[in-house]
Amino acid sequence: MGAVTTPSHHDSHAHGPEISWEVQLKSNRLGLWLFMFSEVFLFAALLVARFVLWYDADLGIVRPELSQELGLVTTVILLFSSFFMNRAEMAMEYGDRKRFLNGLLVTAVLGTLFFIGVVVMEWNILGLQGELFGIELFGHLKPADGVISGIFFAMTGMHALHVLTGLIFIMVVWNNGRNGHYSPEKHWGVEACAIYWHYVDVVWVFYYPALYLIGTAVHAM
Amino acid sequence: MEGRYMGKNKHLIIVAVLIVLTTLALKFLVFGPMFQLPVRASAEGTLIDTMFQGHFWMISFLFALIMVIMLYAVVVFRRRPGDETEGPHVHGSTVLEIIWTVVPVVAVIGFGVWGTVTLGQLLEAKPNEMVIEVTGKQWQWSFSYPEQDVKSPQLYLPVNQPVVLQMTSQDVLHSFWVPEFRVKQDLVPGRTTTLRFTPTLAGDYKVRCAEICGLEHANMLADVRVVSETEFASWVEERSVAIQYADLTPEQRGDLWHGAEGDGGFGCNSCHSIDGSTGAGPTWLGLYGRQETLTDGSTITVDEEYIRNSILHPNDQIVSGFNRDVMPQNYEELFAAKQAEILASDGIEIDIIADLIAYIQTLEE
Amino acid sequence: MKLKIWLTSAYVRGLVGQLVGTLLGIGFIEAIRGAMGLEPTGATFNLFGAIIAEPSFVFGAIVGVIGFLLAAGVFTDWLKWMVGKETPLHHGAPAGKPEWSRYLNVDVNHKVIGIQYGYTSILVLLVGGLFAILFRIELAQPGMQWLTNDQYNTLFSAHGIVMIASILLGVGAMSNYLVPLMIGASDMAFPRMNAFSYWVGVPSVVLILAGMAVGGWDTGWVGYAPLSLRAPLGVQLFLLGFWLNGFSSIASAINIIVTTVTMRAKGMSWFRMPIFVWAAVAASLIQFTATQTVGVALMMSIAERAIGLNFFSPVGGGNPILYQHLFWFYSHPVVYVFVLPGLGVISELLPVFTRKPLFGYKWIALSSLGIALVGFLVWAHHMFTSGMADALRVPFMISTMFVAVPTGVKFFSWVATMWEGKMSFETPMLFVLGAISVFLIGGISGPILGTIPTDLHLHDSYWVVGHFHATMFGGFVFPFFAALYYWYPKMTGRMYKESLGKLHFWLMTPGFWVMSFGQMSVGILGMRRRIADYDPLLGIERTHVLITLAALVIGWSVLIMVYNFISSARTQEVAARNPWRSRSPEWQIPSPAPEFNYDVPFEVVGDPYDYGLADAAYIQMTPAVSGD
Ligand code: HEA
Ligand code: HEA
Ligand code: CUA
Ligand SMILES: [Cu+2]
Repeated sequence: MGAVTTPSHHDSHAHGPEISWEVQLKSNRLGLWLFMFSEVFLFAALLVARFVLWYDADLGIVRPELSQELGLVTTVILLFSSFFMNRAEMAMEYGDRKRFLNGLLVTAVLGTLFFIGVVVMEWNILGLQGELFGIELFGHLKPADGVISGIFFAMTGMHALHVLTGLIFIMVVWNNGRNGHYSPEKHWGVEACAIYWHYVDVVWVFYYPALYLIGTAVHAM
Repeated sequence: MEGRYMGKNKHLIIVAVLIVLTTLALKFLVFGPMFQLPVRASAEGTLIDTMFQGHFWMISFLFALIMVIMLYAVVVFRRRPGDETEGPHVHGSTVLEIIWTVVPVVAVIGFGVWGTVTLGQLLEAKPNEMVIEVTGKQWQWSFSYPEQDVKSPQLYLPVNQPVVLQMTSQDVLHSFWVPEFRVKQDLVPGRTTTLRFTPTLAGDYKVRCAEICGLEHANMLADVRVVSETEFASWVEERSVAIQYADLTPEQRGDLWHGAEGDGGFGCNSCHSIDGSTGAGPTWLGLYGRQETLTDGSTITVDEEYIRNSILHPNDQIVSGFNRDVMPQNYEELFAAKQAEILASDGIEIDIIADLIAYIQTLEE
Repeated sequence: MKLKIWLTSAYVRGLVGQLVGTLLGIGFIEAIRGAMGLEPTGATFNLFGAIIAEPSFVFGAIVGVIGFLLAAGVFTDWLKWMVGKETPLHHGAPAGKPEWSRYLNVDVNHKVIGIQYGYTSILVLLVGGLFAILFRIELAQPGMQWLTNDQYNTLFSAHGIVMIASILLGVGAMSNYLVPLMIGASDMAFPRMNAFSYWVGVPSVVLILAGMAVGGWDTGWVGYAPLSLRAPLGVQLFLLGFWLNGFSSIASAINIIVTTVTMRAKGMSWFRMPIFVWAAVAASLIQFTATQTVGVALMMSIAERAIGLNFFSPVGGGNPILYQHLFWFYSHPVVYVFVLPGLGVISELLPVFTRKPLFGYKWIALSSLGIALVGFLVWAHHMFTSGMADALRVPFMISTMFVAVPTGVKFFSWVATMWEGKMSFETPMLFVLGAISVFLIGGISGPILGTIPTDLHLHDSYWVVGHFHATMFGGFVFPFFAALYYWYPKMTGRMYKESLGKLHFWLMTPGFWVMSFGQMSVGILGMRRRIADYDPLLGIERTHVLITLAALVIGWSVLIMVYNFISSARTQEVAARNPWRSRSPEWQIPSPAPEFNYDVPFEVVGDPYDYGLADAAYIQMTPAVSGD
């Protein structure tokens, strides 16, 4: 039995009707956009949960007490990283490998800073304490702080997970680029990486106000 | 294309007649007997049952419509042996498609409006409603009548008296359903849900928990008795007699605590049987002095200290075969509150856990 | 040799990898917890005398799945790509191994993957069916006979989710095998991701079944909070398995849509595609979006249990109704994922066996989209009694009823196709007719649930159980079986045994009617769902016996089908190239289909269903122009 009759010329490496680069690129692009559209539902579900759960009968919409400075700085860092990602991609398009690689590295560094800002400082998984210019550097929320921390960790965590995969993606592309892969004409890997990174940024553009700005600040519920 | 169909009018007429006959046959001979509603015992049931009948008509008609045409085609147009010809080359008909889009739209809107109006009537508050507070917990119901100031594990209802149930749950979701009343409403922890109905037929029914709530969901039942107004009044009188705790022995009090919440107990009986049958927790029959194997593999002998600890910290020592997080962990507070209450009202100091242990000791095999 | 191939197959390697991964994951977190001096938390599990805390267990389960995929070889190409190696697609059986070993290993050919989905689906169906048989025997009589409440609860919960996994696998089987063949593509757009979609489904089913072994769970397939937060440890594996299945759905749906958009044959406009492709695309539209929200709900439940975050338990301010909204936002639309491909099969086969064009092709095609879209707006009809805001109930009631309209378009178009058709009744056609009758029962028992006043009585009763078995059997199981019989010669090159096929049909269809009508009848009398024991006073004892008997008949008939397929693959005569005289492209090439489907690409020159029109061609095989 077999779903497939073996190719007549008995070559197990037989190649099928070759799919042209243009068609495959079209597929890749569509696939990535569909994937991101799919993820819209993931992030939106969390966002909706935020507005349902961070609601108080008396205060209306609430939010946790968080360090405004920390949130603003990490957000700015993330937005800047998108800018450098865009420059890296343009550099590839013009065939400037050096600027391409450097752009990726800067993006990765900024992304890592953002990641540290969320996980080490805002979540404070290392249990640190400290102040800078009178600003509390480390967050105070603990997993057991009811829905306030539940949603906070869920939203930032889901986003941080995407930042992390984005960072890995960037490093993979950087490494491949260093080894001479990609050309101005064919660099789907770079394009995908860039789109993904911008996407992760755009998500944060919605999450940042939802976490830090909208509603009355409360300590716990 | 039109021409082809003119000569086929014969088929259409036969089919139309068959559809009408089949609809009637289905409604009265098949679905009628097959889909029987239970006895109707509430005013709301009348509205709902009318709607049921409307649906049954539609079900009968639609089933007849599609099945008659299909079976007619199967029998009449089937390929005869040796016939190799193809069917007529008909691609479709926009007029027909529009008709069978628009007609269902109208039907659907009709049912939607009907449903909305009926729902409005079901939700309407009546002027002289009697309030009953319903509490569900794994796996017990208790009913409290704030106006009459009584509590009970059974639901007593005066006939023709509109009631409004204010319901909540202490743990997971449950759902209040008395099939004879036709209405249903979930109980949600942390909020109050309401349900209104007017019982119209005296008799004995049962509340059947309709939302999966764990191990004993199947057995989460409570008796419902719809009685005359005078019977209800005397029942209230009977329930209002306060328990004289001082007159009871510790064993008798333990029996009371083990019982349902509506009877003044703590509902231990919903998980711990006294007849040896397994529930969500170990049976109390022969419990005292028994050897038990715990989930961590150690064995212990049930003594006072073990029982006390198991009540106050149920997750500490779980007997193998049972699950953690099943037993509520707030008995310390509940007992303290009850003890204080009794001290205030009856002037005696009691230890509920000691009562329970005394009671358990009487349950020898 | 044979044994060796089995033992080194991706299944065995994967399971070993899953076990190793699980143990490593558990060990890792236990070590950290030990170092931090934490007490065991949550539900614990006794592993060879060591008490494993729930968080370790969950982490272990996740690592185990990664272990499965790594060991099976699903990630190999991607890992190579990450370090910059060339990764040409490998086609055909691995060097020196027989053809059949492809089916046991990671393969990128869509037909192999389709068949892998297919047999996995049937296997999982048998397991889920076995659970049903077990608890149906308990339900044959009131009182408890041979199961405890605990076992009953685990069995029906597992039955529900295992069956749904089976359906999703079956949908994958049909769309993966058929879509590229029907649109004239050589494979799917993303062959490796296609393999991933299938293979991630395997460890997820393993997780669900393993959940039964570590305490089971009693939440039903819906896993409502807060009950799920207090259920035994098994519920974690159920939630995780369900969640992982979502990866499979999303990846495979994206693949189907992209393939259909970019890889259609020349001349195949949207309204010249075989109708099944429309159905597959409509189902995929639901799958790749709505699945995410149930993923969120499941993840939240897992996290609430394992790391103490609060979302649903009212104790910390959580909202149990939120879970239901997130859950049904997926789980209502997903029922249309089950049925749309099935209804597509009905529409696909009817013209072939009636020798008439499909009546109202465009309307049927667009009604699939209509069902998919309206299906997104109705989820709260599962929550009419949940205590959600009253103001929301009415719009959901109206939108629910509206699904009847596009579904009705399909029914009316089907009977119009049959009218005056020259019908013949081979097994696939019998199953198509059975599907229509059964799905009709399921469909018309829906609006009565959709109007709130009647649903107040019927909710969580066996009427609902009857309703959804009828819709799922009529919309998926019957059409799936029709598809298996119909494309069996395509897949294997041989004909199944017609007599056994007919026997299967004539046992299963009446059996199903009895089961479904029986369930509705006891439900309306007051039989609740999800109970191991019922009150004989309701007057439902006799009907319960009938339902159990019917279940046994259905079970036997399915076993007959399995026997038929296994035995025919070796012994039956070689099938004709186009045994059904179909116009569809996949029947114009040899069976089984060549590795790349069409040695020469074809061009679409006519309508797909021009039966009854002499000399009308659908496709034209064009010789490849060199240098193109
Ligand atoms: C494949 C699966 C499938 C399908 C196709 C459907 C189709 C429909 N379902 Fe069903 N349903 C389920 C699977 C499915 N369902 C499952 C699994 C559950 C239970 C989940 C659980 O709790 O575990 C459920 C539960 C369920 C409920 C919740 C019940 C409750 O728990 O209280 C409701 C309520 O509205 C409902 C309604 C409908 C409606 C209106 C349709 C409509 O789509 C039906 C439309 C079809 C027709 C109406 C017939 C043909 C139409 C015509 C011939 C045209 C003319 C018709 C009219 C004018 C009416 N379903
Ligand atoms: C595709 C989906 C599907 C299918 C096919 C079935 C098939 C069957 N279902 Fe199931 N069912 C569900 C989906 C499905 N079910 C869901 C989602 C629920 C809800 C769960 C919940 O409440 O959460 C449910 C619940 C459910 C209930 C309600 C339980 C309760 O609420 O307490 C009942 C009761 O009668 C039932 C019965 C059956 C029966 C008798 C079959 C029969 O058709 C089965 C026929 C048998 C076979 C196909 C197997 C044949 C094989 C053998 C006999 C043995 C050989 C085995 C091996 C070799 C391994 N099902
Ligand atoms: Cu309470 Cu079910
Ligand atoms: Cu639904």
